[in-house]
Amino acid sequence: MFNHSAFRSILAAGVVAIASSGAIAALDTKVGIVPGGPHPYFSAWGPSGKDASRDFKLGAADYKVPAKWELGEQNLLLESMVSQGYNAFIIFPGDSVGSVSTVADLVGHGAQVIAAGGCFKDPSKALFCLGTDTGNSAYLGTKELLKVMKGSKRILHLTGFMVDPNTQLRIDGVRKAAQEGGGTVVQVIADIDAPEAAAEKIGAFMAARAGEIDGIIATAWVPAVQAANSLRKLGDKRIRMVAIDHDEVVIKAIKDGFVDGTMLQNPYGQAYVGAYALDRLRHGCTVKADAPWKSNALTARFIDSGTAYVDAAKAGNFVGAMQEITKGLLNSFEATYLNCKK
Amino acid sequence: MGRTSAYFQADWFGPAVISVLAVLVIGLIDRAFISPAALDVLILAVALNGMIVLSQMVVIAIGQMNLSVGGIGGLAAISFAGLMQVQGLPPVAAAAIALLIGVAAGLFNGWLIATTGISAFVITLASLSLFKGINLGITSAQPFYEIPAVVKAFGSEALFDMLPFLSLPTIVIAFALMVLLTRMPLGRNILAVGANPGAVALTGVSLKWTVIAAHVISGFLAAAAGVMAVARLQIGLPTIGDDWLLLSFAAPVIGGAVLSGGHVSVGATLWGVAIVAIITQALVLFKIDPYLVQAVLGLLILWAVGINRWREVRARKGEGKL
Repeated sequence: MFNHSAFRSILAAGVVAIASSGAIAALDTKVGIVPGGPHPYFSAWGPSGKDASRDFKLGAADYKVPAKWELGEQNLLLESMVSQGYNAFIIFPGDSVGSVSTVADLVGHGAQVIAAGGCFKDPSKALFCLGTDTGNSAYLGTKELLKVMKGSKRILHLTGFMVDPNTQLRIDGVRKAAQEGGGTVVQVIADIDAPEAAAEKIGAFMAARAGEIDGIIATAWVPAVQAANSLRKLGDKRIRMVAIDHDEVVIKAIKDGFVDGTMLQNPYGQAYVGAYALDRLRHGCTVKADAPWKSNALTARFIDSGTAYVDAAKAGNFVGAMQEITKGLLNSFEATYLNCKK
Repeated sequence: MGRTSAYFQADWFGPAVISVLAVLVIGLIDRAFISPAALDVLILAVALNGMIVLSQMVVIAIGQMNLSVGGIGGLAAISFAGLMQVQGLPPVAAAAIALLIGVAAGLFNGWLIATTGISAFVITLASLSLFKGINLGITSAQPFYEIPAVVKAFGSEALFDMLPFLSLPTIVIAFALMVLLTRMPLGRNILAVGANPGAVALTGVSLKWTVIAAHVISGFLAAAAGVMAVARLQIGLPTIGDDWLLLSFAAPVIGGAVLSGGHVSVGATLWGVAIVAIITQALVLFKIDPYLVQAVLGLLILWAVGINRWREVRARKGEGKL
């Protein structure tokens, strides 16, 4: 079974050495880590905040989840956290445009804000956005899928919320890779982040159309889990699949041969490095204007938190892959993105 | 009134005809839609969604609404999965406790509504947040993975390879509700309270206990849907229930339920569930652009409701009631 505590310990052990060398007493920094709503993708943010709090000697780095995926719920939570003394925020925007005014309010109260996992739409008061380059991850994942597909390359793409701007980037990334690799995206099934909808729609497709596809690329957590379960139920290893993220169901399906691999994102590193960066920014550092920022559809200040492909050979140590990504990001973060007085 | 006319005027007739015609027409266009595997998926969807919808229908019968159906179902789902994984309870014991949680949640809703006089909309909106908050407090938004094999089998296998096990609770509950609403005093009181609460009060029937009873039944059914969702999805996700609200109202309305209360039909409601499931699955098979799926689904539900209403009006005109 996937053990969250063990996962946290192993991951933290790998980065703590680097962290301790740069840590300063920063007990006055209270970081609020707030996703857009409940979702298993963010489950690493809680332990990551605790580890950051310990390693960087922060006053707090607490993970708080809005009750629902609604902007109003997230705003209420953020307001209450400001009143409780939180002065730095890592936020997955409840709405990339609608949340911009919330960021301005938080900054008006003296807080530092960065986006993680997803970005605010420019212009905003957020200092930068630390997240997965979702389009590129979908592109690379599809490339991996095409490598393992034999003969015809008809692909089903499963993805998440249509209101998430990342979804279109993922659709474009998959299409681009398919075109380049001689494949065809025969269908996109989207808006299946709700588990019941995912089970029903994926089940309906597989029951009627399984013979018309040769591969599945899943670019959202819940569809990846449900598709892995569906392939296991069918028991048909003809259809190849590349998933996303590190849900236990997906990792086990990779080990058992029902799924070929998964594109890891780095939610742990987003919150861990984000908390570190916020603390440094609260203690005299500033964001480098001329840093090697990437850009996406929402912001021109994007930092890729990293991605890695994990197949059956690496599934037993996928934590190691995430560890490496986080280490690399933390190691170079200050020099690359911050101006700090020596 | 002849038997044919009686069938025509029955609530379930319109949705049943639409469902059967839809399956036949879609099946003719694409045989894959009526393959055994596809019909299995359709029955599974109707089984789970049917339980969700019946949970809402009972409260609609008294002229109220329960916005916390998904909150109760989600809380019961993660309790069921969590009790098995963390406490090591056997599935039956865990399911029983999850159902009791549903009863308690329904009692909480009903008691607050009946004793404070605050509208069910406001109370259940607040309790939705409460139940979801407890859910997140317990899970920290992390799933429970260790679902016993027997539960997984219940959610994915079929009796004699024909009837999914998951449909059995819905069938039993549907019959029980039919008997309750047509043959038992409590059921008749529920419908009477929805139709005319003032008149019911004059007959000496307790409005308070009738409202509480309807919400307790609703809570129980929502919890049952939560337990079934864990079996169906083979995982205890904290987001179970988040997506139930629209469906829970759409299917009873398609089935001819009067939202102001007093008139519901178990059979018609379940056919309404079937219509929504057929539409949902047909949209997948016909490769509708994902950006248009929500809009197309909304339009088709409106169309189905319109047909049902047209049939009702026509029948009444035939009787000279309009």
